[in-house]
Amino acid sequence: MISISPKVLVPGAEPTIEKKLDLTNLTPEQIALDINQLNLFYGKKQALNNISMSIPKGQVTAFIGPSGCGKSTLLRSINRMNDLVDDCHITGEINLHGHNIYDKHVDVADLRRKVGMVFQRPNPFPKTIYENVVYGLRIMGENNRRNLDEAAEQSLRSAALWNEVKDRLHESALGLSGGQQQRLVIARAIAIQPEVLLLDEPTSALDPISTLTIEELINDLKKQFTVVIVTHNMQQAARVSDQTAFMYMGDLIEYSDTNTLFTTPLKKKTEDYITGRYG
Amino acid sequence: MNNWFKSGSPWIWLSAGGVSISLISVLGLLWLIASRGLSYFWPSELYQFDLTDEYGAKTVVIGEIYDREKIPVSQLAHLDLALDPKQEVLERLLIKTGNRELVSLDFRWLLSHNINKTQTPKDLVVVERRTNGNFYGYIDSVVLDGKKVDQNKLPELLSRVDNFQDQIDDLQKSDIGAINYQLERLRLKTRKYELQNELTAQVKAEIDSEVAILKKDYAKLEQELMGYRSAIARDYIVMRAMDGQLVTINFEHILKVTFNNKLNVLEKTALFFSQITAFLIEDPREANTEGGVFPAIFGTVLMVLLMTVIVSPFGVIAAIYLHEYAGKNAFTKLLRIAVINLAGVPSIVYGVFGLGFFVYMVGGSLDQLFYSENLPSPTFGTPGVLWSALTLAILTLPVVIVSTEEGLSRIPSTMRHGSLALGATKAETLWRIILPIASPAIMTGIILAIARAAGEVAPLMLVGVVKMAPNLPLDANFPFLHLDRKFMHLGFHIYDVGFQSPNVEAARPLVFATALLLVTIIVALNMTAVSIRNKLRERYKMLEH
Amino acid sequence: MDNLQVGRHISGQFNEDLERVINNVMQMGGLVEKQVADALVAVEQSDVALAKKVLSNDYQVNAYEVTIDDECTRIIAKRQPAAGDLRLIMAIVKTIADLERIGDEAEKIAKVALESFSSSQQDLLINLDNLGRRVLEFLQASLDAFTRMDYEAAVKIHQMDDKINREYEALMRQLMTYMMEDPRSIPQVMTVIWSARALERIGDRCQNICEYIIYFVKGKVVRHTTAENMKNL
Repeated sequence: MISISPKVLVPGAEPTIEKKLDLTNLTPEQIALDINQLNLFYGKKQALNNISMSIPKGQVTAFIGPSGCGKSTLLRSINRMNDLVDDCHITGEINLHGHNIYDKHVDVADLRRKVGMVFQRPNPFPKTIYENVVYGLRIMGENNRRNLDEAAEQSLRSAALWNEVKDRLHESALGLSGGQQQRLVIARAIAIQPEVLLLDEPTSALDPISTLTIEELINDLKKQFTVVIVTHNMQQAARVSDQTAFMYMGDLIEYSDTNTLFTTPLKKKTEDYITGRYG
Repeated sequence: MNNWFKSGSPWIWLSAGGVSISLISVLGLLWLIASRGLSYFWPSELYQFDLTDEYGAKTVVIGEIYDREKIPVSQLAHLDLALDPKQEVLERLLIKTGNRELVSLDFRWLLSHNINKTQTPKDLVVVERRTNGNFYGYIDSVVLDGKKVDQNKLPELLSRVDNFQDQIDDLQKSDIGAINYQLERLRLKTRKYELQNELTAQVKAEIDSEVAILKKDYAKLEQELMGYRSAIARDYIVMRAMDGQLVTINFEHILKVTFNNKLNVLEKTALFFSQITAFLIEDPREANTEGGVFPAIFGTVLMVLLMTVIVSPFGVIAAIYLHEYAGKNAFTKLLRIAVINLAGVPSIVYGVFGLGFFVYMVGGSLDQLFYSENLPSPTFGTPGVLWSALTLAILTLPVVIVSTEEGLSRIPSTMRHGSLALGATKAETLWRIILPIASPAIMTGIILAIARAAGEVAPLMLVGVVKMAPNLPLDANFPFLHLDRKFMHLGFHIYDVGFQSPNVEAARPLVFATALLLVTIIVALNMTAVSIRNKLRERYKMLEH
Repeated sequence: MDNLQVGRHISGQFNEDLERVINNVMQMGGLVEKQVADALVAVEQSDVALAKKVLSNDYQVNAYEVTIDDECTRIIAKRQPAAGDLRLIMAIVKTIADLERIGDEAEKIAKVALESFSSSQQDLLINLDNLGRRVLEFLQASLDAFTRMDYEAAVKIHQMDDKINREYEALMRQLMTYMMEDPRSIPQVMTVIWSARALERIGDRCQNICEYIIYFVKGKVVRHTTAENMKNL
C-alpha cells in the first residue's frame, strides 16, 4: 500500500518540481564539455555540421537520432576515437576544462583516461574479471596489489556487479552473461576514475532486464561522472537522461532538457522522430 | 537417378571418397614405414642352410633371412639349372651372413632350389661388434685371461666389459674432450695475441704453464684410458664360422652376444625394445649403417628449435608491422604478395642463398672480425647449425607471417578500441591485448613452420648438415651451444644410408626405421605445438556471438 | 484532423489505434451534444417521453467513456507515445472525463422536464432556454474545434464562457426575484436553479475542452491563467 504523507496539509505547500538547467547559459563550473562549432569530415564527406553544445557536469546527456545522423561520430570525437579512422579530419573545438582536446600537444592516451568509453557490444578482454577491471590501472603503471584490489572492488561495486562476481574474480570474463559483461566493461572504464563516461549504445546488444540494470546503473553513475550516452532507443534516452540532443543528418536539431524534448519538442523534425512519423 | 543427383548425395560421396583416399594413403604410408622399420629391430631366427650348388659342391651358410623374392626362371637361364620344366618361378632368399673378415660381402642370394636342408640350431649365435658388423656362428670357446672357461660365464664377462666401455666413453667424451677443447682455445688465444702483436714473454709463459698443466692431466687420463683398454682386452672368445674356420674375437670389440634361436617371445620382445633404445641413444657405427642415430635426432630437433626461436619473433614482428603499422597502400600490398610468393620458392634455392649470403658473406665477415686467430680455417665461414637454422627460418618466414596476419585480422576491432579507450597506447594494446589473442594463430604459423622445416633436407646439405659429425652442437664445454658446428640430420641420414652406403640392400631396413623416427619426431614436435595452441585457444576463446 | 497528423506514423497499427480512439471521441461528443440538445428540448416542451429517453441514454455516454479510457491506457502501455501523441492521448483522456460530466449534467436538466410546472411558471423556463441555447452553441463550437484541433478557434471560443457566466448570474438574480415575490414557487425555482447551474457547469467543461486543445497544440497548460496570458502564447 502506498501511504500518502500528510505533507499536503502544510500551508503554502507547493508540488516539488525537478530543477531545469538553462543549457544556453551554463556557468563554467557547470560545464563538463564545451563543443564549439565542430565540423567533422570523413574524406570529402561531412559527417558533422557545425555542432555547438555544452554538456553539463554530473548529468546524463543523451544523443538520439536516426542511424547515420552522426550521434556516434560526435560521441567518438569526444575522446578522439575518430583518430583511428584514416581519412577523418576535424575543425572546431571540444573543450575539456577550457582546453581544446584537439590541440597539437594533447596526449590522446591521457585524454582517453579522462574521457572513458563503453561500446555497443560488451568487449571484455579474454582475461580474468579482475584483470579486466584493473587493466587501465596497470596501463597507468599501478602495480601495487592492494591498490589494485581496492580499485577493483570499488569499481565493481559502482558497476553493481560486485555481488555477482566477488567469488570468481579470477575466472575468465568471457564466462559472464551479456549484461554482466557490459557492467564489467563499465567497471573497467570507471576504475581509472574518468571525468566523463561515454556510452555508445551500451544496451543495444542486451536483453530488456539487463538493459534496465544498466539504466539504473547509469542513474547511479551520474553522481560521480558526467555521462554521455548515445542510444537508438528513445524511451531509454527519455528514462535515463537529463538532457537530450536530437541529431539528424549531421546537424544538431534540438538540444534541451529531456522532459521538454519528449513532451513538447520545438522542432517538427524532432517531433516526427520521437513520435515515429515519416520525416 | 536424376533425383539422386539433385539430392546432393553425389557430392557427399565424392567428398567422403576424397577424405577416405587421403586417410588410407596416410595410414598406408605409416603402416608401410612402421612395419618395415620396426621389423629391423625384431630379433630374427638364425638359419643354417646346407646347400649343393650347380657344380655339386656342398657348402653350409649361416645367417638371417633378410628378404625373399620370386623370380621367373627365364631370368636364370644362363645358370643352366636342372629344373622341373613346368616350374616357372623360383624362390630366392637374401641372407645376411655377416662375418666380414671372412667373406667380401656380408649379404648373399640363395636359390631355394639349391637348399637341401634348413635348420635353426639352438646354439647358433650372433655377435654384434663395434667394427666389422655382425658375426654369425657357434661359440667354440671363451677364454678368460688365457684360460678356457665355461660358456655360462659369458654374460658376466660381457657386463664387465660394458662397465669398462662406459668409463672409457666417459673419459674420452667429457674429460679428454674438455682438455682438448681447452688446449684448442689456448692455441687460439696465443694466435690472437700474435696477430695483435701483444704476445709478450710473460703472456706466453702463462699460457705455456696452462698448457703444461693440461698436458699433464691429459697424460694422466690417457694412462687411465690405456689401463681400461688393456683390462678389456684381457679376454676373448673363439667363434666357429659356417665354413668351420675359427675366428678369435676380442671382448674389446663385442657389443652383444645373442642366442636368437634360444629366445622365447618375451625375451625377444625385451630384446626388441632394447634394440630400439640402442637405436635411439647410440652413435652410428660403420659409416652409419650400424648403431644408433642419436646425433641425427639431436641435430634435427636442435636445428628445428633454433629455427623456431629465430623465425617466431621475426615473423610476428613482420606481420605486426604489415598489419598494424604499414599504410594501406599499393606498396604494402606488393610487400604482402612478395611475402606470400616467398613460400613458393624451391627450398634448394634457399640453400644456395644461405650458402652464398650467410655462410660466405656473413660468416666470412664474422670470421674476419672476431675469429681471425682461427684463419685460414673458418669458424662461422663454413656451413653450420646456425646457418641452417637461419636458412630454414627464412624459408618458413612467409608461413609465420601469413598466419599471424590472418590471426591479427580476425581480432574484432572492439578489442583494440576497448583498450585504446582505456588510455592504452597502440603499443600497449598490441602487447597486452592483441598479441595474446593472436597467439593461437601465431602458434599455428609456428606449427606449419616446424612441419615444413623438419622435413627439409635439400637446403641443409648446402648449409650445415654432414654425414658424420664428430661432436654434438651442444655439450658441456663453454659456451655449451656451439652454433658454428656442423650437425647430423635424420632426413639427410636417410638419404645417406639409403643411397650412399656401401651396401644399399643391407641399409634398407635402417632407412625405414629412420624414416619412421623422422615422422615420429615431426609429429611429436607438431603435437607439442598443437597442444600449446589448443591451450591458448581455450584461454583466448573469442566472443563468438 | 490535419493538425493531428495521425496518419503519418511509420507504424500503421498505431495509426489505426489512434484513429479509432479519435473516432470514438467524436462519436461520444456527438452523443453528448445530442443529449444536451434533447434535454433542453424536453424542458422547453415539457416532453416527458424525450426527457426519459435522455435519462435512459446516459449509460451510452458512460460506456463510451469507459471504452475510450481503456483504449488510451492500452496505447500508453503499448506505444509509449511521446510529444504530440502523448499530449493527444492526455487531452483525450481528460476530454472524455469532461464529456461524461456534461452527459451527467444533461441528465440533470432532463430531470427538470419531469417536474410539473404551472402555466404561470412556464416563463421561468424560457429564461433557461436562452442560456441553454448559448451553452449548446458553446459545446458545439468546442467539439468542432476539438475535431479539427483548431488552436485559433479554441482560443476564441474559450471566452464564450464569460458570456455564459454573466448570463447565468443575470438569470440567478431574476430567479431570486421570483422567489422573493412568490415564496410558494420556491421549489419550482430551485429546480430551475439547479438546471441553470448544470448549464453553467457545461460551459465550464467546454472551456476545459478548449484548454485541452490548446495544451495539445502548444504543449502549454493554460488552465488557471488569464485570457491575456493565453493570447500571448
